[in-house]
Amino acid sequence: MADTPIPLEVRDITKRFGDTEVLKGLSLKAHKGDVITLIGASGSGKSTFLRCMNLLEQPNEGELIVHGENIAFKTTRHGREPVDWKQVERIRAKLSMVFQSFNLWAHMTLLENVIEAPIHVLGKSKRDAIEHARQLLDRVGLLDHADYYPAQMSGGQQQRGAIARALAMDPEVMLFDEPTSALDPELVGDVLKVMRDLAEEGRTMIVVTHEMSFARDVSSQVIYLHQGMVEEVGPPKEVLDNPQSDRLKQFLAPKH
Amino acid sequence: MIDLQGYGPRLLEGALVTVEVALLSLLLALILGLLTASAKLSRHWLFHRIATLYTTLIRGVPDLVLMMLLFFGGQIGVNMFTDWLYYQFDVDIFININEFIAGVVTIGFIFGAYMGETFRGAFLAVENGQIEAGRAYGMSSRLIFRRIQFPQMMRHALPGLGNNWMVLLKTTALVSVIGLSDMVRIAAEATKATHEPFLFMIPVAIIYLLIASVSEWIVARLQKHYNVGFGEADEWNN
Repeated sequence: MADTPIPLEVRDITKRFGDTEVLKGLSLKAHKGDVITLIGASGSGKSTFLRCMNLLEQPNEGELIVHGENIAFKTTRHGREPVDWKQVERIRAKLSMVFQSFNLWAHMTLLENVIEAPIHVLGKSKRDAIEHARQLLDRVGLLDHADYYPAQMSGGQQQRGAIARALAMDPEVMLFDEPTSALDPELVGDVLKVMRDLAEEGRTMIVVTHEMSFARDVSSQVIYLHQGMVEEVGPPKEVLDNPQSDRLKQFLAPKH
Repeated sequence: MIDLQGYGPRLLEGALVTVEVALLSLLLALILGLLTASAKLSRHWLFHRIATLYTTLIRGVPDLVLMMLLFFGGQIGVNMFTDWLYYQFDVDIFININEFIAGVVTIGFIFGAYMGETFRGAFLAVENGQIEAGRAYGMSSRLIFRRIQFPQMMRHALPGLGNNWMVLLKTTALVSVIGLSDMVRIAAEATKATHEPFLFMIPVAIIYLLIASVSEWIVARLQKHYNVGFGEADEWNN
């Protein structure tokens, strides 16, 4: 397997908002089938880190290599920018993101949401896209909701729909940005179940989450961030069950 | 056919001119409006400056004054240019600014500024997450505009656009001032000849009302189209 490029590698990412440095040199390597969870208190930079991976945020420094392809940056008056936005679009299409607030396109039905990018970005035929979309919707238990609009569905259904939309891209890596944080507690389980299934079938996933049981059961690697730096990293058994730093111990301690 | 002392057919021709001027001005205004809104929302300071100058100028000067400026001033400008051609190159041409085009350009130009403000507000009302999802799936800016921003923006823009259109329609009456034979001018001429203002102005008012009613129906249909997916949840629960 030595000649297969690894799906995603990030090296020494820094990010500043104004004078505040929110990411202070973060690196990560996702091999095929890895499930990496990013944990940390709010403001630790975990979501920003994730958003730098598909360049929804532009990192100030650092390298990004997706499936062996290195993204080229240049420095302009506005700061550091990718040289070629077409390259960025191509790479984003390989890293589907699932958002905290779902962000299904509100003017499209669920099915239309799922086939949109495969048709217009990947250039799939409408017929193939629909066929694939229906399989995926069936998989996340929403085939009977194909013609619903997002506003007609519960948060949990929307998020499962958004996962189907992400899967429709046949992504190298799936990026999850706190996928269950906006959900009512009773809806979290269905979404987590879908994500566990994905992990089991060997999907490469990077997940920002507060769900410690998910992190413990599913991830191959847990990264604990504090103030834009990696405080602890390792397999969940080490990081979650045997934390070294006081801060992590406190973070993991039951809150009540 | 209503005869109206023989003026009936001409009045209808005038009504056609009114509709033509209105529709062509609308087209121009929508294009200018979209450009203005994009310029105002762009990061580029020069585009921003030009668009702001345009909207400030248009909104601060009366429509009639602008129309006269463009029509008469335009003619003077064109004449100066053709004179210059004659003296410099011995080319003898005469270009007459056509009232129809002058009317369409002026009204389109005026309402482009109002449409621009309407579009700008509507674009700002589209939730950022909707656009971000497009970017995250590898869509280009143009694709995002066409597939996500535009259809979602229209929902917010339509009430304002419909309003602007009604005002635009009525503003076309001003083209009679620069000599275009729209229905207002023809009715005015007929009134002068026959001394029967009501006989002509009431049909004119009715025709405007008819056009306005049809427009309202069309706007309502469009609103329904662009509201898909955004209605109250109860509407769907069957």
